[in-house]
Amino acid sequence: MALRELKVCLLGDTGVGKSSIVWRFVEDSFDPNINPTIGASFMTKTVQYQNELHKFLIWDTAGQERFRALAPMYYRGSAAAIIVYDITKEESFQTLKNWVKELRQHGPPNIVVAIAGNKCDLSDAREVPEKDAKDYADSIHAIFVETSAKNAININEVFIEISKRIPVADAAGGTTGKSFKLGRQASESRRTCC
Amino acid sequence: MSEPLQHMAVHSPLNGTTAIPWRSSRKRLSLLEQLKGCQEAWCPGAPWDREGAHAAITGTPAGSFLVVRDAVTSQPSLLCVSAGANNEEVLDYNIKCTGTVFQLSESHLSFSNLAQLVFFYSLTRDVLTVCLSIPRWIYSVTEANKDRLSQLEPKTWLLTPAEQQTDQMTHSEPSNMMCSIQLTSTSGALCIINPLYLHEHGDDWLTHKVTTSQGATQLSNYRRERRLSTTRSWAGAGLQSKRAISLDQEASAASTENSGLIRARSADSPDCAATSQTPAGVILRRPSQDAVAALTNRVSTDSLSTSTPSTSGSTTPELQRHSSPVPQSPHRVSWIEDGVWLPPPRPSSWLQPPSLELDSLSISSVEEEQESIMSSPAQHHPSAHRLADKVIHRLSAVGQALGGLVSHRKRLTNRVQELSERKGGAFAEAVKGFVEIALKKGVDPGRVTGSEILQEVRSSLTSLREMLLDSLEIQTLLDSPGDISDSDIDSLVELSIHKVALKPVSAHLYSCINTSLTNDGTFERLQNNLYVLEKNGVEELGGSAGVGVPDSVTLERIQQRWASIHKAYSPNKKVQILLKVCKSIYHSMTANSNSGTVFGADDFLPCLTWVLLRSNLVTLQVDTDYMMELLDPTQLQGEGGYYLTTLYASLYYISSFRPRLAARQLSVEAQQSLNQWHRRRTLHCNQSRRSKHRRTIRRQTCQEPKPEQKEGNNPGNADESQQQTENGTEALQTLKEEKENDQGAKDQSQSGTPTSDCPPMTEGEVVTGKQEDRQGSCVAGEVDYRGEERKDVR
Repeated sequence: MALRELKVCLLGDTGVGKSSIVWRFVEDSFDPNINPTIGASFMTKTVQYQNELHKFLIWDTAGQERFRALAPMYYRGSAAAIIVYDITKEESFQTLKNWVKELRQHGPPNIVVAIAGNKCDLSDAREVPEKDAKDYADSIHAIFVETSAKNAININEVFIEISKRIPVADAAGGTTGKSFKLGRQASESRRTCC
Repeated sequence: MSEPLQHMAVHSPLNGTTAIPWRSSRKRLSLLEQLKGCQEAWCPGAPWDREGAHAAITGTPAGSFLVVRDAVTSQPSLLCVSAGANNEEVLDYNIKCTGTVFQLSESHLSFSNLAQLVFFYSLTRDVLTVCLSIPRWIYSVTEANKDRLSQLEPKTWLLTPAEQQTDQMTHSEPSNMMCSIQLTSTSGALCIINPLYLHEHGDDWLTHKVTTSQGATQLSNYRRERRLSTTRSWAGAGLQSKRAISLDQEASAASTENSGLIRARSADSPDCAATSQTPAGVILRRPSQDAVAALTNRVSTDSLSTSTPSTSGSTTPELQRHSSPVPQSPHRVSWIEDGVWLPPPRPSSWLQPPSLELDSLSISSVEEEQESIMSSPAQHHPSAHRLADKVIHRLSAVGQALGGLVSHRKRLTNRVQELSERKGGAFAEAVKGFVEIALKKGVDPGRVTGSEILQEVRSSLTSLREMLLDSLEIQTLLDSPGDISDSDIDSLVELSIHKVALKPVSAHLYSCINTSLTNDGTFERLQNNLYVLEKNGVEELGGSAGVGVPDSVTLERIQQRWASIHKAYSPNKKVQILLKVCKSIYHSMTANSNSGTVFGADDFLPCLTWVLLRSNLVTLQVDTDYMMELLDPTQLQGEGGYYLTTLYASLYYISSFRPRLAARQLSVEAQQSLNQWHRRRTLHCNQSRRSKHRRTIRRQTCQEPKPEQKEGNNPGNADESQQQTENGTEALQTLKEEKENDQGAKDQSQSGTPTSDCPPMTEGEVVTGKQEDRQGSCVAGEVDYRGEERKDVR
């Protein structure tokens, strides 16, 4: 079975629960014996999707405004970005829109964008209507789910949807050898350029 | 920054996805391809008939086979399989071949070609009495030498000790099996078992001799093989030299010398004379934990002492005779090929989740884990009881992995060293050339930057590595079957190259980076901003309340680690140490917090920044650049890559922080602490009041800039914000915001503030600060994207 590594970048305001989502996602596989990651800002989980194994390498980013300029270092080379907002904070949804814009302009081409409205367990304090967010997500062809890291709602779904949208590795050969060859060629051409 | 990431992109044909690298030149063929390649050997033509095949097969280990063609149609008609060396029986199975479909008469399974059939029956016996056994050497046939496969003859095919068919498994669901496995290399196999089965049936079967499963035997054989091959008593000596002769004839001096060397090796360790020796058979059947545990105990001693007598008892044929006919255990769901890592053993059960998390078990993480467990077990896990078990498992697993890898690395390093010193050798010349050129390189302001030098070094290192990996000598060394995964091979070779090539030039590279960073003003900015930021607590740096920072003892330890990072010449080694630092920072962060709190990047980045501000920023910047540019690009997406990026980001944050921006920071804190606010305001009262008034009018009620207002951050606007033309930029930006920003109008109308020239001081400061910060980010973004453009141009 082919193993593919998918770099996934987490974006969103500080405090919206980015790391809780990841933590929730990996927790059932989290065994310090097997997965001794250093901390919640980088975590991995491998799941099976059809006849492939998808190993998610999840890169968390610092959501504070002051660190915003650092984000490109993190999202570069990502296969997918999960942009998280807090349904009880309208402002975090606005931030999300900015992330979408930035990714479009500067993110990797074909990056899969997933929008996660977190804290859906706190619907009493909701500020962002689900429909608004859904409409927005549809308008940019992004995955949309409302999640609750606290109650483990829709967490796996986000990643399943991402798996679905990741382009097939290699339609023709499907071999890892082939895709590596591509890499090699690229690196060789790079070498000549330098 | 952009450069190393560029490497990363290079390795991702689809963005962000990395197929596991598979070096094309030395790519191992899939077993199926290999089988097809030497079909003439196991399915010979005309002169061979049933009698001939039987004569050839008799006495060979169980599972050895030939396919005989029909004398008339010359279609494959008969599969002759040895039942074992001792009972001298050869079993016949008719092959039906209708059109393009092949099947055994007794079976309903059909295959589209003969190789597939053979492949399948090497995995599962189905109607056979024993699984077909495929000679072990076939696994090491690569693209490069596959031509020779076709020249093999049946005698050669059978001659080789066919005992080790590695990952062969009997299986209850053959069809499923076919889907879930790709037996493309012998590197390690991960056993997935159904926990429910264990739950229902316990794990007693593991200890029962009666329930012998061939798979278990194979596995333990395989493990033994692995152990042997990681010590000097490598078992394939005869085989190896044979291959060197039969498959690699053109490889003149090198291979001859090599096989000689291996023979010599086998001579001084008598215990490894035959591959078919097995450790005292019976215990072996407990699949991995015992074998592994036993191994683990031995690994340390083995890797130290050069000749450890292997516990040879029964011979394999006997063992196979015992084991092979026994029906397969139903618990085995699938075998999945994977890296060197196997799930850590557990003495009492295999109930651990069948997870595929083989992640992060880079050598570095493993070492780290080991170290931290040994140094501070108590803080590692709250439950001492569980801890004890875990530590044991972890350590044994670690021991196993390290024992294997370390001794392998040692052999490899020695060999690479030897190659690099060999007079007139191609590799030695290449290394020499590289070192000479690298030492001549120097930073040339305006023309050659430190990064460019490092990038050239990186591509030279890659070339050297390719050269080694393609060289026969190293291949022979690495091909000891099933030992380590391809990616581990790459990193081992990479490390060896660091030693011979990077070590001699590292000091020079440091000085190049130094010059470069001095010239472009990075050091100066770091130093200046250090003065501004160093007094800040972690919360002022953006960390959330309650997040801990390292105490003085830990901090001292971190300083030592930074020092050892600087001492290390290998970027991989540096990253390993960096991971240790990050780990201790994480420990400090969580030390005083509630157990439920999850600290992600929101807190880690501020904490790391806090630590950096108490460290030698200049040296760290040098080391960071060194790592960023020289680390093997394939490493950049993993854990090491993440924390390296974060280190880089944090340094970048410090160096691009502009002192005046402190006003903004204090503005945030000021809302929490008036006292602090006053202190800071006096500190920064003269700074940037230029466009204060307007903004005050517009935004004085905003606690934080509204998201749209952050638009200015967007690197899309970056070109417009040049640090040198600050005033203009600010004006521009404000204009821009007013145009773009529908929120702005709202703010303005909401604010209802008198358009006074003297707004309340605090508010003015607050807003100004924000504006400044925004601009700072712009500049940062601009620099960053300039990097990206450069990349695009290339």
